[in-house]
Amino acid sequence: MSLVLADLAKSWGGFCAVDAVSLTVPKGGLVGIIGPNGAGKSTLFSLVSGFLAPDAGSVTLDGADITRLAAHERARRGMVRTFQVPREFAHLTVRENLMAAVPGQSGETLRGLFLRPAMVRVEEQAAAARVADTIAFLRLDPVADTPAGKLSGGQKKLLELGRALMTDPALILLDEPFAGVNPVLVEALSAHIRALNARGIGFLIIEHDLPALTRLVGDIHVMDRGRVIASGPPAAVLADAAVREAYLGGSA
Amino acid sequence: MVFWIELLIAGLVSGLVIGLVALSITLVFGIARFPNAATGDTMTLGAYGALAGHAATGSMLIGGAIGALGGAAVGLAAYALVFRRLSNRSTVALLVASIGIGFIIRAGLSLAFGHTQQVFQVPLVRPWRFQGVRIHPNDLRLAATAIASLAVVFATLYLTPIGRRMRAVADDPALARVSGISPVRVMVALWLLAGAVAAVAGVILGLRTVVSPEMGWEMLLPGFAAAILGGIGNPAGAVVAGLIIGIAQEMATPVVGFTYKIALSFVVMLVVLLVRPRGLFGRVEGVR
Amino acid sequence: MEAYLAAIAAIALIYVLLSLGLTLHYGLTGLINFGHVGFFCIGAYAAAILSTTGGMPIVVGFVAAAVLAGLAAWPIGLVSLRLRDDYFAIVTLGFSETVRLVVTSERWLTNGVQGIPGIPRLFEGLGVGMPSALAILGVLLAVNAAAVWLFFRLVKSPFGRMIEAIRDNEEAVRALGKDPARFKIRVLMLGAALAGIAGAFYAHYIGYIVPDQFIPLVTFYVWMAIIMGGVGRISGAIVGSLLLMLFLEGSRFLRDVVPFISAVDMASVRIGAVGLALVLFTLYRPQGLMGDYTRR
Repeated sequence: MSLVLADLAKSWGGFCAVDAVSLTVPKGGLVGIIGPNGAGKSTLFSLVSGFLAPDAGSVTLDGADITRLAAHERARRGMVRTFQVPREFAHLTVRENLMAAVPGQSGETLRGLFLRPAMVRVEEQAAAARVADTIAFLRLDPVADTPAGKLSGGQKKLLELGRALMTDPALILLDEPFAGVNPVLVEALSAHIRALNARGIGFLIIEHDLPALTRLVGDIHVMDRGRVIASGPPAAVLADAAVREAYLGGSA
Repeated sequence: MVFWIELLIAGLVSGLVIGLVALSITLVFGIARFPNAATGDTMTLGAYGALAGHAATGSMLIGGAIGALGGAAVGLAAYALVFRRLSNRSTVALLVASIGIGFIIRAGLSLAFGHTQQVFQVPLVRPWRFQGVRIHPNDLRLAATAIASLAVVFATLYLTPIGRRMRAVADDPALARVSGISPVRVMVALWLLAGAVAAVAGVILGLRTVVSPEMGWEMLLPGFAAAILGGIGNPAGAVVAGLIIGIAQEMATPVVGFTYKIALSFVVMLVVLLVRPRGLFGRVEGVR
Repeated sequence: MEAYLAAIAAIALIYVLLSLGLTLHYGLTGLINFGHVGFFCIGAYAAAILSTTGGMPIVVGFVAAAVLAGLAAWPIGLVSLRLRDDYFAIVTLGFSETVRLVVTSERWLTNGVQGIPGIPRLFEGLGVGMPSALAILGVLLAVNAAAVWLFFRLVKSPFGRMIEAIRDNEEAVRALGKDPARFKIRVLMLGAALAGIAGAFYAHYIGYIVPDQFIPLVTFYVWMAIIMGGVGRISGAIVGSLLLMLFLEGSRFLRDVVPFISAVDMASVRIGAVGLALVLFTLYRPQGLMGDYTRR
């Protein structure tokens, strides 16, 4: 699934959060976005995923213009996003959080619920098996039946990722997936992302953990004050003078 | 043609009433940040206050003043006893409490004054004829009263220090607090003003039609519709929208019938909330 | 004496049905529905019209009551579910007042202010004594039991899981590709259908309906019931309805005992008491309003 952003822009009052940003995630791509805080990265995600309407520009998914499409419709098409601050379903357990993410459940329709109880049961069991796998992979077994609101910050991040994975996406927008996660698990997650990518799932990742990100992605875009100031392979981008200035705020 | 002009005039007068109600609602919404469902019953209280005052003194002016004071007092009491304690709660909690307060006011009024409709004992005056159009001098007087009340409110809001502070709180409560604006004083001013305005609307309505315990509640829907149409939190917008709805209601009566003119308010409110939530003159407001 | 108790029980069960609908709306899903009486009214009038001028069997009236009330919830849901809580509340209030307006004006259909008399009682064949009263109670109990079953089925299902997810974080639900409005509308329609059925029972029980029986006060009676009983729990809906009946009957009893209070005065006292209860509950029992939500 390819994603093309063309001249996306968003301002509030006088403040320009995203300024004519264009970038492409090719089908099956693994692309990163970095930049100092306040650069507009998460806002960009919200524009792409449909949680904010852009003032200008377009978002194209696999050739189709989705700029005006509702957020849940975009997710149904296979592009899902995670949030920088995790949005877990606090009163549901980890298991239930993941079950809730599974798409196409007849048990979520009234017709299925009351007229096809047997099918609902079968689907629930299949979903439960998938969920168990995900819990095992994310090493969330100890808290599988704990209400998600009681998890640690890092665990909530993992849950965010897990929920996104349950939706069977073609393109995942990850917003700081490694923040607060212990380094060993970061390695395991990176390996899993690479494995999923090998199967054709695209990724657009915002991260601050530069070493982990640069080991993972093919291309990086750098944002600062709403604009993309550099793009390219990790090594080249990190050596770029403008990038260093944005991060270090002066001569390096 | 004459017929339509007379409807227009009727619409203007009832529009002024709706505008006053909407003004009270929008002031509270803008500054205290919740929809005040007790506005209608405050209107009723004003009408009964004026009725009692007029019956006691024979002067409509004194009666009206008593009504307005009653409304102001009730508004302040509601704030002091209830709304102040709910200031950090959700808008729904405040809304439910305001419904409760409205019920309490209505119950008190109907116990005190009885359930049947009453009318102001004012002398019947023949309408003037101007180019064939009937104009009731009472309507003129009522319109003048409404406009005078509006003038007082807007003068307070835009020409006095307390009015400036009220507008500051409406614009940005956090900033206002940080700037040292005393929230309590602003709230007291707000509730006195909003209560008085609603009460005056009630007096005018009572003079035009009848006084009954339900009269105010029935104005709530048009009042809310006008406040939303005008842009919630915008005082001038509320009045303009009130006029629009009043005129539209009267002009639509020959077409849709007498009872359905209230349904017009509901439709207007729905359409506005769907199509342009910030109304005609409002800023972008979190409706969704 | 037994006839009196049977009557109380019947009205109480009708209120339980109304409370169950509102519990679906607010207790389960957090929808601030201030227009519940509107669905009650639609159900009552549907049943009344079909069984009198329509000449249809009573069952048809009941089905129509449920279906029409449920369908009425659909456009209300569509237009208002994307609104903030308090705007949704106002719109639903406007809805129920508009229903009352329509019912008052469309005289050709509803006989306007004069209402519809002569609505057949259930189980008329059994006469007017205890046997028919008990039969009516039996049906009411059965319907209530079915509604309770429906509620639990819903709560423990994937649908119920999504409702709880929506309450916890609506945006996250959208991010997962599911539309919260879809779920909320269905809940709104189910609760409305229950209120419609309650309305049909009411019409066939009282035998004579007029628009003035369907004023917003009734909506707030039901709100008071679920708040008193404990929001979000089925037991709360039941207990609350019983407490409500106690209040309503108690005030009537009081009037019978104290001679100088007229019926109209008592009506005013009731309104005042409901108002006071709403204010006090908001002030002192916030969990009654803030979401003792249904937990799975």
